[in-house]
Amino acid sequence: MTTEAVLKDVYESEELLTGTDAVAQAVRLADVDVFSAYPIRPYTGVMDRLAKFIADGKFDAEYIIADGEHSQFEIAKHASSVGARAFAGSSGTGWLYATEALAATATDRLPVLALVGNRALDDPGAFGVEHNDAMLVRDLGWLIVWASTAQEALDTTLIGYRVAEDPKVRMPCAVAMDGGYLTHSQHMVKIPTKEAVKRFLPPYDLGKRRLHPDNPISIAPQVNEDWGMEIRRQNWEAAKRAVGVIRKAYDEFESIFHAGYPNPFFEEFMTSDADTIIVGMGTVSAAAKTAVRQMRKKGDKVGYIKLRWFRPFPSEELRKALSRASHLGVIDRDFAHGGPDDAGVLFTDISSALYRAKSRPPVIDFIAGLAGREVSIEDVIAMFRKVEKAEEADVVNWVRVREKSNRGSQGNSSGGKSD
Amino acid sequence: MTTVEAPLKNVDVDEEPIKRFEVNYRGIFQKTLAYRITKDLVYIAHSDGKTAFSNGRYSDDPQRNGVPCANFAFFSDGLSEEELEAIASAKMDIDRADIVAVLDDTMVKGLEPWGHYGIRPINEKVVPGGTLLVISRRPPEDLVQFLEKKPFTYNLAILPGEASFAGLWYYRDDNTDVRVLGAVARISPEIISLDKAIAYVRKTYKNDEKVKALEDAYNSTKLSVVSANDGIVWPHRKPVLPAWNEFDEGIVVKAAPREFKMGPRGLGRNLDYKRGTSKTQRPVVRFDICTKCTLCWYECPDECFDPTPDGLYDVNYEYCTGCGRCAEVCPVNECIVMVDELNFKNDDSPWESFKKDPQSYTKMIEEKKGKGRMMPSHVTGKGESMSEVSKPVPFKVERGN
Repeated sequence: MTTEAVLKDVYESEELLTGTDAVAQAVRLADVDVFSAYPIRPYTGVMDRLAKFIADGKFDAEYIIADGEHSQFEIAKHASSVGARAFAGSSGTGWLYATEALAATATDRLPVLALVGNRALDDPGAFGVEHNDAMLVRDLGWLIVWASTAQEALDTTLIGYRVAEDPKVRMPCAVAMDGGYLTHSQHMVKIPTKEAVKRFLPPYDLGKRRLHPDNPISIAPQVNEDWGMEIRRQNWEAAKRAVGVIRKAYDEFESIFHAGYPNPFFEEFMTSDADTIIVGMGTVSAAAKTAVRQMRKKGDKVGYIKLRWFRPFPSEELRKALSRASHLGVIDRDFAHGGPDDAGVLFTDISSALYRAKSRPPVIDFIAGLAGREVSIEDVIAMFRKVEKAEEADVVNWVRVREKSNRGSQGNSSGGKSD
Repeated sequence: MTTVEAPLKNVDVDEEPIKRFEVNYRGIFQKTLAYRITKDLVYIAHSDGKTAFSNGRYSDDPQRNGVPCANFAFFSDGLSEEELEAIASAKMDIDRADIVAVLDDTMVKGLEPWGHYGIRPINEKVVPGGTLLVISRRPPEDLVQFLEKKPFTYNLAILPGEASFAGLWYYRDDNTDVRVLGAVARISPEIISLDKAIAYVRKTYKNDEKVKALEDAYNSTKLSVVSANDGIVWPHRKPVLPAWNEFDEGIVVKAAPREFKMGPRGLGRNLDYKRGTSKTQRPVVRFDICTKCTLCWYECPDECFDPTPDGLYDVNYEYCTGCGRCAEVCPVNECIVMVDELNFKNDDSPWESFKKDPQSYTKMIEEKKGKGRMMPSHVTGKGESMSEVSKPVPFKVERGN
């Protein structure tokens, strides 16, 4: 069978969808049983779309509107414990309000899938993208993956369930995506058939851990110093096993959908012979890859790595890919005030992983795009120029922060909300 | 300004093979309509082998009634979607557009979508040789008097019609969606061709009426060229954004002045966000017949009425959102009437104008009011309806002295 014929078989249509629409499609296709909801931009788009699916008779699920995010994620956790495939989602401080439930979902090892529409924390009402919200669960036993296109959002939601529910893993999974730039932007997305999804994603089965009158168990009794350490050790083992499960899930996704994810953990763009590499996550990759294309035309040996899986952090794979380069840069759409070198979270993780590498190229950090500020192609080109001379550069570089007021720079029709 | 058959070509010295489309619409009321338009444009461009995508201005969401909002769509003949996204859509708002469409002509007076940005000209983003497309029943001169002067020429396209409310929650179709597609095909075949637009509408809606509406809009869109320096010097201040070390820490901003004195603009109000551009109609007051009952002042949700020394209530149109509550509660026939915002050139105090010359003020507003009146349901008892007044309520001489 030709590839085209295969694709005809596994995709039902191609539609113009926002990032949140794409996730809603995946939730429908994964035949989620329980969806708990509480509105907050930019996640809310999923709520709207799923409500419409149910109203139109295209989707059958329990749609529970909670009184706040804390209850919302408690509902998802409990639904998951009785064997229902559960979906929830939030953004920014809404996600943080659920933190107690989020922590317990991870320790209880319940494979809830959550969309985190990345949103700033929380200068009054700030809604632009920042990655700190999703990163707040980075140490708790959540799988965290970033999608950076609408198609990837749909695919990653399906893959996320497959990985999270695998008996070797059973960890909750956060699918993160940039608020605004992905959640509210409409792109053409291929929508798989339900049959093809069924082949990829087996039914959710919690086995003997399923809470049911026929299976009398109690989940999560009081834990003290006599048990806590062993439980953490178990959970660490699951997090380590997740690496292999992720690899296998992408292999099978590839064999059914031919979606083009040769490396599950990160996408390497023109890195094979690159001297200078920048690493980033999320939609900044569009500007970064375009910058690489433009610079390559002029003979610059530059490359970009788009990190998808942030937890488990692909230390070994990244070490291999990055230690080949002579200079490295990291784009952090997050901040970590007062942390090591006052750098961002991603930079700190990557630096830490590189410390064990035999060859350690100099690496510098760019704090960029906070609260939804733009990161342009020109910005990334300027970053590459700085990385090429990383030895002389500051460790941490804030990009496009207003160092001067725009007073006096206003001509006639100077443009929109420019800075 | 001259009327033309074919639009002036885009003379922007722009090497990017990209077309940018912006549609400005009234928040909530026209939301679904605006989304349909950008979505259909993208589908049609795709059917023509182009790369295209669309997005909404993220900062507009969640939308407030009537507050100006915008959607965008981007088109390219050779770029990949990723490149198009990187070039055209790295920002929450765009800074230029080949076509700026306007679904409600009262928005030509300016837009204030967000605090701290002031009132911006509707043609701010139009590129040299680009097009401002307005749905309106007005002649081009009526619209140009509100536009900011540009140092270059561009097109003004008028699609004859009224501001459509087809996109209010549910979709009550009045063909405005396909009519805008027809106008775009006329203005810029590079974005969508008429043939592809017809084919798409026929296939999607399976309704000849929609195809006819599209073709009609293509033919009836009126084009004229706006010359450099047509329009006005923009009267509103442009925003100043301070450097990171030029404002107080802890996200502290100055409160609106808490002050009150008798007379026009006597109440302390927020200087950074006025919301007046949300209105399509303004309340016009016949001070000569007002009974000073206080209801307009009391009921106004935006505190737009200023008490005056003679016991009347002035209106601050800069802050009025045109909700119509005052006209609804006013117990005096013809005392407060909502009138098309485009009939007025400025936001000057109506009370001051009345005091200066009561008779000519009254004559002036009666002319602007015209004859048609919307009767609210609590008056008719049977829902809203339109009625006509045969002649204005006579001027009450004693108040005028």
